[in-house]
Amino acid sequence: MRILQAARAKVCCAALIAAGIFAAAGPVLAHHSFTMFDMTKRVTLAGTVTSFEWTNPHSYIEIDVPDEKGAVKHYSIEMGSPSILMQSGWKFSSLHAGDKITLIMNPMKSGQNGGFLSTATLPDGKVLSNGPRQEPPPPPAQK
Amino acid sequence: MKLKMLRCAALLPITLAMVHAQPASQPPDLTGVWGIYRGGPGADPKFAAPAPGPIVLKPEYDKPYQEKRARESAAAQRGEQLDNSGARCIPYGVPSMMAIAIYPVEFIQTSKQVTIISEAFSEVRRVYLDRPQWKIEDVAPGYYGRSVGRWEGETLVVDTVGIKPAASGYRGIPHSPQMRVTERIAKLSPEILHDQITVTDPVTLEQPWSFTFAYKRIPNYEMLEYVCENNHEYIDDQGVTHLRLQDNK
Repeated sequence: MRILQAARAKVCCAALIAAGIFAAAGPVLAHHSFTMFDMTKRVTLAGTVTSFEWTNPHSYIEIDVPDEKGAVKHYSIEMGSPSILMQSGWKFSSLHAGDKITLIMNPMKSGQNGGFLSTATLPDGKVLSNGPRQEPPPPPAQK
Repeated sequence: MKLKMLRCAALLPITLAMVHAQPASQPPDLTGVWGIYRGGPGADPKFAAPAPGPIVLKPEYDKPYQEKRARESAAAQRGEQLDNSGARCIPYGVPSMMAIAIYPVEFIQTSKQVTIISEAFSEVRRVYLDRPQWKIEDVAPGYYGRSVGRWEGETLVVDTVGIKPAASGYRGIPHSPQMRVTERIAKLSPEILHDQITVTDPVTLEQPWSFTFAYKRIPNYEMLEYVCENNHEYIDDQGVTHLRLQDNK
């Protein structure tokens, strides 16, 4: 695994927006909250996709990332579900094993080699986020 | 010719009246896919879901409920999530399935039945329009219970009983086998739908609890399947959820 960047960043990623939606007062959580991910950190990984799992309750990018010495570590990157990902332009065929990609993720607080996807740059250069189609928040409740 | 035209003209109001009268005699068609409506700038406030009513649990249920919420909040501060049905990929049932995250619901309406499908977890409920409700004790407890409906003008009124206590209550509210869910489902416009839900439970609730979900039509949307086949979450013996990842394989 090669970590290109590990820096605290402003809380602005699509993942956090997604978390906000899931935590909204109205609908219930679909699956789990995002407390296990450090949404204040963004880590960039560059590596080779070993599998792209277009599945529920979450999709996953499994990726091997070499470090500076050539040693390879494996990361599991959680994404939204297919329904959510389709709203930001993903398809079941967006990635394939062997694709070389760069992605930005919010790392696990536990230190495990995993995280929640923020954005991924596909082999064709297209950048896709992990967030759903956004509608602005509802207006304040009428008194 | 002139006489014929006059006859046609004389009949026109009657014909128009019949055309106009026909929709009023037919219930509105709720068929379609509806997404959670979140309003936004310029949105008409009357389409937004009103704020939910207060939850007033009986003291013997309120205390453990508040304690559970406090544990969940403390766990979240530690970066942990406690056990819940969603993390186990267990469907939510009625009424929570009507609003799961941003997943849409699909209504399929016939004269005798309204079928409602939530994309999340592919949950399905059937509202029978042509038969009476059973006594609660005659309904086998389940996640969706037994729903019957009737039209009150433009509003579909749905009565549901038979929800098992294990089904996750909306907002985690505890409920007993005596819970009754009454919904008033109506279109506020061709594009906006509201489901006003009232939960009564003589065992756990001091008073009925009402809340409303608002939806906006999603034209031409094709619902996706949702099979919870790749759940990386597991619950440890302390009731805390974790992700099982393929790290360092």
